Amino acid sequence: MESSNILSWTFAYDFIRGPMVWVAFIVFILGTVFQIFKFFSMSRKTEAIQLKAGPGNFIKPLPKDAPPPKTDWLMWLKLSVFGTNPFLMIVTTIFHLLLVLTPLFVLGHNILWDNAFGISMVSLPEGFTDFLTLIVIICALIFLYRRLFLDRVRAITTWADYLFLFLAAAPFITGYLAYHQMLLDYRLVITLHILFGEIMLMAVPFTKFVHMIYLVLVRFTISSEWGLGKGSRTW
Amino acid sequence: MVKAKRKPIEEIKEAISGYKNILTVGCGGCVSVCLAGGQREVNALNAELKVHLAKDNSDKAISGYTIERQCNEQFIEELKATADQYDCILSMACGAGVQNMAQHFPGIPVHPAVNTVSIGIDKALGMYEEKCRACGHCVLGYTGGICPVTRCSKGLFNGPCGGTNDGNCEISAEVPCAWNDIYLRLKAQNRLEDIMKVHPPMEWQNQTPRTIVQEPYEKRYRA
Amino acid sequence: MFRKKNTAGVNSEEIRAILDEKKDKMKLSLKACAHCTLCAESCFLFMGRDKDPKYMPSYKFINSVGVLYKSKGNVDKLDLGEIRDIVWERCVLCTRCYCPMGIDIPEMIALARRVCRSQGVFPQYDRE
Repeated sequence: MESSNILSWTFAYDFIRGPMVWVAFIVFILGTVFQIFKFFSMSRKTEAIQLKAGPGNFIKPLPKDAPPPKTDWLMWLKLSVFGTNPFLMIVTTIFHLLLVLTPLFVLGHNILWDNAFGISMVSLPEGFTDFLTLIVIICALIFLYRRLFLDRVRAITTWADYLFLFLAAAPFITGYLAYHQMLLDYRLVITLHILFGEIMLMAVPFTKFVHMIYLVLVRFTISSEWGLGKGSRTW
Repeated sequence: MVKAKRKPIEEIKEAISGYKNILTVGCGGCVSVCLAGGQREVNALNAELKVHLAKDNSDKAISGYTIERQCNEQFIEELKATADQYDCILSMACGAGVQNMAQHFPGIPVHPAVNTVSIGIDKALGMYEEKCRACGHCVLGYTGGICPVTRCSKGLFNGPCGGTNDGNCEISAEVPCAWNDIYLRLKAQNRLEDIMKVHPPMEWQNQTPRTIVQEPYEKRYRA
Repeated sequence: MFRKKNTAGVNSEEIRAILDEKKDKMKLSLKACAHCTLCAESCFLFMGRDKDPKYMPSYKFINSVGVLYKSKGNVDKLDLGEIRDIVWERCVLCTRCYCPMGIDIPEMIALARRVCRSQGVFPQYDRE
């Protein structure tokens, strides 16, 4: 291959659109599996302790036919972080749900899957996914505002936080620009869109994006005051 | 917090007399705050012991290490790697900590270096006053914040005996009568009727070890 | 920031050895912290000190264990004094801090305390 070919635009596009996709997904999957194994090696199963009611135990036994105690979910929600930081929790929930779901149901992506493997997910109407993309970008802007202007967030912010926020929003920004074919040359924007998506995938197991894996693993399996579910492991 | 007082040096010497390699373990919790068993007190005790042992020409080795709390396994973990090299652990924690240590190092004799005295308050620098005996049946709201179990010499739960003498307990003129103080406190707050509330006797006498489970966690431990 | 350090009396190797015992968990905690500040309201000291960001659990562990890790244990007595102020004056290790990622913040504070103790730095309770 002549150097003029390697440096040419088509080569860059072909590489990013072709082998790089495989590399990104393999790195993402292997990295995730590695982190899951690491978690299970860093934690261990706890011994279950059973407590029977007795003279010294300040726990009163429930009669055998008593209905199980009901959890007041509304109260639980109010006393949880949704109660102390409702605005941020709503924004971050929407952001994270759409971050994962939008790419799965966007028509453009599904056409590519169909072309490559003959399978795909169901697709949402393009106008709707366009709107969802805007929501993600707005949420990212809200996060940027927090990082820049809230003292408490600035106190622990580093340059990496800005970089990763950009990296998370970049596929959506470039996707929006590409779909509307606005602002920049389409070929450039679509290549950047794919590239940022690949970088984001590869970054998941090795950077702070790892909270995608660990939030689920830790909150649902480690027994702690803040655990979700029964929790049968400990560090 | 829990208040403790270091044992006399002779008693500690006697306890470690049969061992060669001793680890004095301090606790960063309650005994640190009441200046009985924190890192500084570990250093002080070891220094004092070394002076005594030198006089006796003893070849004992004494080391010191302080962990954050001895009542929680999480903080005892860091000792597990090195504990085996010692044939005796001298714990400066409260009785709960000493027992927890003994439970986690069942093969090594654990001796307490402090006497656990009470649940109390910091009255002045170095001075700690007992306030609570953990009876499990707190009636402080109705006694104007004065504990009849702790302060009354007889631990009477529902009013004075007939021995109050000029506001003092019949056992000594230097001990104020708790119920007299309760009466005066309630009178100043205009709620003397609270003194007439009769409470059933508390359960702490003659009891098996008490285990409590906070209500949100009860489901986890039902048999 | 680039203060000349007088590392007399501080054994950096010992500090590194202690940090190494919890290396995986420490690195994971520092990496996974998204700097979201949702832990703040769970700290009663933060709530009681007019929501001063210096009392946020994330701030505390990043500026204690994080400093020890990033400097590879090359700290001096002044640094340890600052760390002592964070992990003993601004934290009582009540272990009630919340983290949406599930990071075990009390363990990080306890690790920083352990490092301080190993260098003879610990709180003084006998000041009136």
